Amino acid sequence: MVMSFFRKGSDSVGLESVETRSIAMLGDARHSFDLANTALLTDAVPDRIAEDIRSTDQRINQAEQDLRSELVVHVSVQGTADIASVLGLILLLKKIERIGDQAKNILDLAESGVSLADAEDIAELRAENQEVSELYGEAGALLADPETHRAEKFVTRVTELIAIYQTKIDSYMFSDRPGREVVPRAIYYRYLKRIVANLRGIVGVALNPLPHIDYLDEGATDTDD
Amino acid sequence: MGAGIPAPIRSALVLALIYLFLVGVSSLEAGIKIMGADTQERLFSTVSNPIAGLSVGILGTVLVQSSSASTSVIVGLVASGALGVDAAVPMVMGANIGTTVTNTLVSLAHVRQSAEFKRAFAAATVHDFFNVLAVLVLLPLEVVFGLISGIAEAASELLVGSAGTEWKSPVKAWVKEPVGWLEGAWAMTDAAQTLLGTLMVISGLIIILLALTFITKNMRTLVADRVERSVNAILGKGGGAVAMALGVVITIAVQSSSITTSILIPLSAAGVIALRNAYPITLGANVGTTITALLAALAASRPEALTVGLAHTTFNVAGIIVLYVIPFARDVPVRLAEGLAEIAARQRTWAAAYVMGAFIIVPLIGVTVLG
Repeated sequence: MVMSFFRKGSDSVGLESVETRSIAMLGDARHSFDLANTALLTDAVPDRIAEDIRSTDQRINQAEQDLRSELVVHVSVQGTADIASVLGLILLLKKIERIGDQAKNILDLAESGVSLADAEDIAELRAENQEVSELYGEAGALLADPETHRAEKFVTRVTELIAIYQTKIDSYMFSDRPGREVVPRAIYYRYLKRIVANLRGIVGVALNPLPHIDYLDEGATDTDD
Repeated sequence: MGAGIPAPIRSALVLALIYLFLVGVSSLEAGIKIMGADTQERLFSTVSNPIAGLSVGILGTVLVQSSSASTSVIVGLVASGALGVDAAVPMVMGANIGTTVTNTLVSLAHVRQSAEFKRAFAAATVHDFFNVLAVLVLLPLEVVFGLISGIAEAASELLVGSAGTEWKSPVKAWVKEPVGWLEGAWAMTDAAQTLLGTLMVISGLIIILLALTFITKNMRTLVADRVERSVNAILGKGGGAVAMALGVVITIAVQSSSITTSILIPLSAAGVIALRNAYPITLGANVGTTITALLAALAASRPEALTVGLAHTTFNVAGIIVLYVIPFARDVPVRLAEGLAEIAARQRTWAAAYVMGAFIIVPLIGVTVLG
């Protein structure tokens, strides 16, 4: 540990290191999301998947704690010049941790006995699941290289998705179909909506000035995540 | 100092500042010599009492907020022959206590949040309690048996020769010329001998303080990433000898124990590092900061100056042996710090009273009554 002081500074430290490792956390969160959806949308036995999701979630939580500590160390050692980035990164880490938890929520749905593997709309559900899974990758790529134009396109697309999911939730809430059909779907889309809202927030950290992250342009209301 | 200065240029700047620091120490030594024996006697008779010397060490260090600066000045005084090793050792011990005021003041920034403040204040005062307890144990042993100065003298004799002889320091020869220029410049004012000596002493003090300030600033920038990496490496992996060694290394690198210990305060306040893990880092900082007095001794012409530098190191190492290596004693500063932090968190005025009392009022009484 003492020798780490003398090591040549080739490995990244500070904010760069936190950013790199937050992308890895996002990769873990995607892994949990994919597994949770496998539990809900296929014939896989949820119990077999649960252990992997829970250990991945613990890894995400531990990474969040470690990285938050490192951010405090960064400010203590380097001063407050990077404070806006540090606060943004703390928010980013919290959002990644949240979407890790939301994957667990999807697993909970599967573990409670809900299975949509044989549903009529399974193809649509799987396509949506695939689309959201890809958004994790895109968000990670944008964190690594926050190119403004691509980030803005991402935010626009996710905002449209959120609206689509909300429409679906509303239609299920007022549907005449049996509760066992619409309730799991309403809950599922609610989770998807929160996940994509958090992914939008993650990209927003790289794009927006700190006071505006998570708030609509008019500042009238905060976004739902 | 601009943040964009390339590292090689900043490193060269640090080397130049170290040279300037040595010029400052040598100027101080020269100034005291110019003042003559009578003035020296009048100035330093007050510190012949060890408690008064200890108090002067505390006050002087609180004033300049740097034990590196105050111990370098003490080394310069010993090098001039105006101050004996016996009188200098309690002053150095006082400097050790005085330097802890900086991180205690830093901890007061957390005063508005009770739980944070309690952790921050405990992390700051554990350093105070360790140093005060070390003095309580080692100063009597020094006064009665000459324990610390004896060990330091033996080491100094091994390195550069016996006390009372002239030590041909190569560094002294390097800094001789600029000190001569400074003396020549002040001599042009036709000032009397005592005034000339005073001007040289003031110049030396200013040079020492400025050089140390900028050395610390530049080194902090140069090694910030390394410090950050090392602190991250030690987080959550416990304290002990490794943390202590890290405290030594960081402090030598930044040339300031206050920087090392002050970094720990926000970390402790935020709960990132536990008090028992921060504690050994502060002890390492105590040892690391002694490098400056040793560096200052390189510009001195008497082996006694090196003896004082080594006494500073010996005192801190002995303190660790007595108060950290012995398991029973290890917890005492921690418990005292936790106890005081508990009181200070309940009644914030106690924190201010503690700072005023420990670092100003008690040492002032020590100087006034015993000096």
